[in-house]
Amino acid sequence: MVGATPCASCKLLRRRCAKDCIFAPYFPPDDPHKFAIVHKIFGASNVSKMLQEIPVQQRGDAVSSLVFEANARSRDPVYGCVGAISYLQNQVSQLQMQLAVAQAEILCFQMQQQQQQQQQDHHHQQPNNIPITTQQMMNQDEKSLLLSTSNFDYNLLQQQYLNFSSTTSNNIVMQDPPKRESLWT
Amino acid sequence: MNSGRCAACKYLRRRCPRDCIFSPYFPPTNPHRFSCVHRIFGASNVGKMLQQLPVELRGEAAETLYYEAQCRMENPVYGCVGIITQLHQQINEAERELARAQAQIAFHRHASNAHRPLPQQDQLEVEPSAPEAVTDSSWLDQNEFDVSALMSPLDPAWFL
Repeated sequence: MVGATPCASCKLLRRRCAKDCIFAPYFPPDDPHKFAIVHKIFGASNVSKMLQEIPVQQRGDAVSSLVFEANARSRDPVYGCVGAISYLQNQVSQLQMQLAVAQAEILCFQMQQQQQQQQQDHHHQQPNNIPITTQQMMNQDEKSLLLSTSNFDYNLLQQQYLNFSSTTSNNIVMQDPPKRESLWT
Repeated sequence: MNSGRCAACKYLRRRCPRDCIFSPYFPPTNPHRFSCVHRIFGASNVGKMLQQLPVELRGEAAETLYYEAQCRMENPVYGCVGIITQLHQQINEAERELARAQAQIAFHRHASNAHRPLPQQDQLEVEPSAPEAVTDSSWLDQNEFDVSALMSPLDPAWFL
């Protein structure tokens, strides 16, 4: 490519930038840091092989994600991107727990409403009531016991949630990432 | 010392020295581990990265490098970043649901308070407040990683 500016990769590698240089579309000469960081972590040869195995229309995204990972690894040489994944998974778990607690509280309200409704219906019933069974009375008492606690026990529910295995709901990664120390917080 | 070579030196077909940087983290019983890491990062880069770390942190580093390499092999376009993006989506969805649930709770509380007689001043109870949503992921932006740029222009079918 006579006279044309070599791409950032070929500049760094000190070689002639071919017309069909695989790096040229993604590593322009005005951003040398981008290739430098990717080269430092992955190596030019590996990046070239990876790009060759990917369809052309997806190479831009691949380069972006490689740059992201390389930056992450450069800032956190021990955990890299995995630190971010751990942090976000933790957030997801916390949110799911809060959601479970909130949904349980909604259920309590709904049960309370049902009970109130039943009491009102019972009040307006005809004199020859159908006798309720002992089991129904026991169920009624259990509900009353549950609903009589005016302070909703978040701590108890959180403990119960934590006792559940949490692996099923977070199965979006192949395995649990290694635990990280706190370079990201 | 042929029989005692680590997975890295076996793969690279070289002698495994006593102070081999790879051998504590790439045992010969798991050859796939090193081949994965080598394919994505290259043996030389991995060796340099490990050398630059204190000994006590090298194990963790080797684990995370293996994890990242596996992610990249599973998803050659997005690697680990695909997982990060998916987690962001999960967080957004969970926050929306939580906001909805909290709005419902507020509604129910208001409705049930409307049916109660007004309490005396000295009988007022402080209700436990719902835990605040902990969703501060702004550090990702603070660290100049333009995840939003990765997310917005991309095809929704991100994961192979």
